[in-house]
Amino acid sequence: MGKISLHGLDASPPTRACLLTLKALDLPFEYMFVNLFEKENYGEDYSKKNPQHTVPLLEDDDACIWDSHAIMAYLVEKYASNDDLYPKDLLQRAKVDQLMHFESGVVFEAALRRLTRPVLFNGESTLPRDQVNHINQIYDFVESFLEHDYLAGDHLTIADFSIVSTITSIGVFLELDSAKYPKIAAWLERLKELPYYEEANGSGASQYVELMRSKNFTIVP
Amino acid sequence: MSGIVLYGLDVSAPVRSCQLTLRALELDYEFQEVDLLAGDHRKEEFLQKNPQHTIPLLDDNGTLIWDSHAIVCYLVDKYANSDELYPKDLVRRAQVNQRLYFDASALFMALRDICAPYFDNDVTEISQEKADNVRDGYGHLETFLGDNPYLNGDAPTVGDFCCAATASSLPAFIELDAEKYPKVNAWLERLQELPYYEEANGVGARKYVDMLKDKLTLL
Repeated sequence: MGKISLHGLDASPPTRACLLTLKALDLPFEYMFVNLFEKENYGEDYSKKNPQHTVPLLEDDDACIWDSHAIMAYLVEKYASNDDLYPKDLLQRAKVDQLMHFESGVVFEAALRRLTRPVLFNGESTLPRDQVNHINQIYDFVESFLEHDYLAGDHLTIADFSIVSTITSIGVFLELDSAKYPKIAAWLERLKELPYYEEANGSGASQYVELMRSKNFTIVP
Repeated sequence: MSGIVLYGLDVSAPVRSCQLTLRALELDYEFQEVDLLAGDHRKEEFLQKNPQHTIPLLDDNGTLIWDSHAIVCYLVDKYANSDELYPKDLVRRAQVNQRLYFDASALFMALRDICAPYFDNDVTEISQEKADNVRDGYGHLETFLGDNPYLNGDAPTVGDFCCAATASSLPAFIELDAEKYPKVNAWLERLQELPYYEEANGVGARKYVDMLKDKLTLL
């Protein structure tokens, strides 16, 4: 087995999705902290490996792979002893892919990143209400996707890892109403039972929430 | 007959990325128009098939799949004679996947951030931030191309199909400046040489750009 390094930070949801996957696969890896506030992701070394300057980044021997969803799929296909986490069956796989692209665009880019960047990196103190309200649509969709115990069906897949990382972070802008979204609430409880959940996602999600709260942003109409 | 039905509109970039893939695979298919302005995608019949109420939606002999990226990967894995469009080698596949997730997030969301408020609420102004998101998208594509003719090397992949469908639509809002983005321009011209490109993407992209380009203003 080659040497695996994951570059990122606990506060970052997509880093956490990859941590969940690495832990689920019981893979040894080196965890390299990337200081986004010092713009380490724009340094020469990092940029050579990931010209998009995002976290996380995976190194597996000589291979440099980025985008959390691409990383997760790669890790399961390469190292897992079965295909549960990322099914080989084409329809089941397409289901997981659809959920991950949903997470990538609708959840991460359109909600989390659009709300995080101004406050955390651009020093803004207010966020527009209509952008925050977009989160309601996300909760509505995820509730409707949960027809079974997990997002893609009866068992855990990397789609669950991807979406739980952001769902547990966007609550800092618009809290999840458990009464209105019972399926999401039950699914979260189910995931928290994973022995590695707290280390891989729970504590990082709290860190992200605390970091955002410390900026004292307000939501304005 | 393949028994494949593609639901969508030819002006929609993600629909066109599916058309490019279907044509590249030489698969015949039925096209079912979904009139978004008439709210077809929110009607019960469509919602039953796709609760996310987006286009494109694929019906492959009863198997329903949505999200253009999931669709194109499924089609290649299922029907292609070789893995050129979506390599089976894990590292190369991960690199194509990164381009697909880049399209789903950075490129397409930049487009949607501008066109959705226009269609839903007649917002005709493009904020500095939204314009910059488009330019960032173009910039990343320029970087990704490097010294290669296509996004993942010497031959087109589904990564090219998805990113090109969106990149050829974004000029409706922000010019794809040939001086700032020479590689992206050359790459789109190269893709235009594919015999099916005009019908699968060219026509629809032009229709989209013509429909919108004089309707919105930069702030």
